[in-house]
Amino acid sequence: MATEVGARVDLDGVSANPLRQGLDSNRITDPCTIVFFGASGDLVMRMLMPAMWNLRLGGILPTKFGIVGFSRSEYSADEFRAEMKSAIDQFSRSGPAKEPLWSEFANRLTYVSGNFDDPNAFKKLRAQLDENDKTLGTQSNRIYYLSTPPPVFGKIVQQLSAAGLGPKDQAHGWSRIIVEKPFGTDLDSARALQAEVTKVFDEKQVYRIDHYLGKEPVQDIMALRFANVIFEPIWDRRYIDCVQITAAETVGVEQRGGYYENAGALRDMIQNHVINLMALVAMEPPISPSADHIRDEKHKVLSAVRPIAPGDVAKTTARGQYGAGSIEGKPVPGYRDEPNVDPHSNTETFASVKFLIDNWRWADVPFYLRSGKRLGRKYSEIAVNFRQIPHRIFGEAGDQIEPNTLVMKIQPEEGISLRFNAKIPGPKMHIRSVTMDFNYGTGFGVVSAPAYERLIGDAMRGDATLFTRWDAVESAWEIVMPILENWKATPAGDFPNYAAGSQGPASADALLAADGREWRRI
Amino acid sequence: MSLHVDSVANVSAILAELCRARGDATGDAPGSSICSTMNFIVFVDAPVHREWVLERAARLVEKHPARTIVLDASGATRGVEISTSTRQADDAALLGERVDAGVAGLEPSAIISIARELSLADIPTILWWSGARLLASRTFQGLAEMASVVVVDSSGMARDEETIRELGQFVLKYPNVTLHDMAFLRLAPWQDMIAQFFDDPALRDDLFSIAALEIESGSEAEALYLGGWLGSRISWQAIDATTFRARDGRVIRFTRAQKGDKRRVMRVTLESDDSRYSAVLSADDENVVCLKVDGAKAKPAWWAPLHHIDNASLIERAILATARDPIFETSLETVRDLLG
Repeated sequence: MATEVGARVDLDGVSANPLRQGLDSNRITDPCTIVFFGASGDLVMRMLMPAMWNLRLGGILPTKFGIVGFSRSEYSADEFRAEMKSAIDQFSRSGPAKEPLWSEFANRLTYVSGNFDDPNAFKKLRAQLDENDKTLGTQSNRIYYLSTPPPVFGKIVQQLSAAGLGPKDQAHGWSRIIVEKPFGTDLDSARALQAEVTKVFDEKQVYRIDHYLGKEPVQDIMALRFANVIFEPIWDRRYIDCVQITAAETVGVEQRGGYYENAGALRDMIQNHVINLMALVAMEPPISPSADHIRDEKHKVLSAVRPIAPGDVAKTTARGQYGAGSIEGKPVPGYRDEPNVDPHSNTETFASVKFLIDNWRWADVPFYLRSGKRLGRKYSEIAVNFRQIPHRIFGEAGDQIEPNTLVMKIQPEEGISLRFNAKIPGPKMHIRSVTMDFNYGTGFGVVSAPAYERLIGDAMRGDATLFTRWDAVESAWEIVMPILENWKATPAGDFPNYAAGSQGPASADALLAADGREWRRI
Repeated sequence: MSLHVDSVANVSAILAELCRARGDATGDAPGSSICSTMNFIVFVDAPVHREWVLERAARLVEKHPARTIVLDASGATRGVEISTSTRQADDAALLGERVDAGVAGLEPSAIISIARELSLADIPTILWWSGARLLASRTFQGLAEMASVVVVDSSGMARDEETIRELGQFVLKYPNVTLHDMAFLRLAPWQDMIAQFFDDPALRDDLFSIAALEIESGSEAEALYLGGWLGSRISWQAIDATTFRARDGRVIRFTRAQKGDKRRVMRVTLESDDSRYSAVLSADDENVVCLKVDGAKAKPAWWAPLHHIDNASLIERAILATARDPIFETSLETVRDLLG
């Protein structure tokens, strides 16, 4: 029987070390081996292995750890180490790996080559993990990181179980699994994947990663709401007119055309990142900062999102696809001219949706979500637009008295801005809007770790707060499924309908105009 | 944007110029605003430290918007310089306001009065004191009474030992002020190094049979604090400057050798009954430490990254840690006993 289900167990007794008491250290205490499936892939090279290296440099990895790469590519262990060294040299935020620390790190790197449905390869993996326990002291603690294309997630889980590598097969130690997004491609496939995963892993052992949630400003949303007393009393339908959430990119699909053709903006961004932001803005205060209390509240609010009836999809959503245009003064091709993209593609590169949340706090307050590629500016933000004043007593006839707006800026700027109205100095009662900005700088010293470092570290510690629980994933799929089905059944006739570098399609503007509102400018 | 006022004595003129500086920095644009997370009072009197201190103070307020009040007793500043900063040239949101006041030759009461009148209400006041004297200075005492957090650096001073003695008194005299010594904060990576040896349960008992502790460092404060920290963690009693006594009566020799750059630890060695634990800074890379256990419990040498903390980050840690640190205070108490 496994000795641990998700919770942290101090197997090497670090906390019993009297020298650790009060020490301001982020060191992870439990020894463990982390297995990267899809180890020769782009994600491991660009993000995950540099993240592991920086966790090591930062003194965060446990003193006893191992890393196993698993993929189809034929590498010897030394070739794999050389590949990883090259990836770290190129992509690590700390620059090229240097001796003697690199050799120390490389000695903990091993590789298993095989197909994801090959039982023999998983036997080799098991042998390697046993070897790590003996030589590196990793004490049967394991993390399996699925950084593969989603279609093989289920196969890997099956083979882990068949090879006796599931948590239920363990006499001691713990096992966790990290699953990259997207978790499924629609509601049915997500449920099927969940069924496969939970045959082997308990929900508390599953860490569904959404790197967006590891970003510092996303975590700031909860601090703004629940560490201040002035916002929460007005955080409801009585004072808020609408909420606009934007995740705009200037990049196109680049080399990801093959993936994106089957995904689109709704699946790629709205179903996970943007809906998660909406949940953080709209949820009730959790009773504690523990993972499950926060995730309980997120699930509750997602459960309250009003389902969009098939007949209402056209009037509550807008979709777009970029054509040729220019970004930062340089011409860029349209989506249909990108590599690995069907020249007649019907895939949306822009999606906007109006959601309503049917509960006491948010009844009739629209949440407008939008995300797109090749838009005029790269930025992500949440704008909370407050209602107009109920009765105007100030201001000259020509003065605009704008409603208050609170903006939580996520990227590239991080911070908060509040718009309010003030009197212009002078004899007349002229009123105009002013903006108060607060940005924490990140100019020096120990800057925030990139999201992947934070999230891998959290998974190794057993802290699931920033990972998505199944009930929230399922709710998010339920929310977007009517739209996906409608868009699939009714191909857009006007694609491409926005120029690269623009504000998005006119239909998105019309979506808000129908409610007498307009989008904040990108 | 920068403005100049001839005399530090006229605080209302300084405040008026601050308002003007705000307007000039933002072109009087409606919507300009300023954010301040703290009053950051920086006192410096040694010309040799002045640039070092001011450069780091500037870096800190780039990240934590503040009203910075530099009290420059070095003689390098004449009158008052007033400046504001924005994140970008055309940004309407001010990141910080700074007043550099030349206070050389002023009475302590005048300096304290200037700092008090220039400080904003309702935000914490942090004092970074880079003066030669602590409790012997009436200016220090007056500014410390205004502050919720006081940051000093006892390391590399002409009189490390004397400074640490004074800090011990400070903690007793100002129970409501949080004191941070950068010399102690700087040791966190080395504390982690030493702790690493005893994360292994098989070696942990050796911690209670240590007979000798040797520390090589570039300045005295680091060695004293590291010894004080280790001693206070495992209940050693300081007998004199070179001796601890454990609970069971064992005597532990404490040897300190000055070697290497100021503010840097070079080597820590612990000897138990049958083993020797050493953590030695690599000769090739100051960011790497070689850890080794020799003797009965010998382990192959291994390398560990030494996560150096730059000085601006040290000050940042200090200003963010607003509660008193019992680990620091018990270490300081042990050092005070060592020094007698």
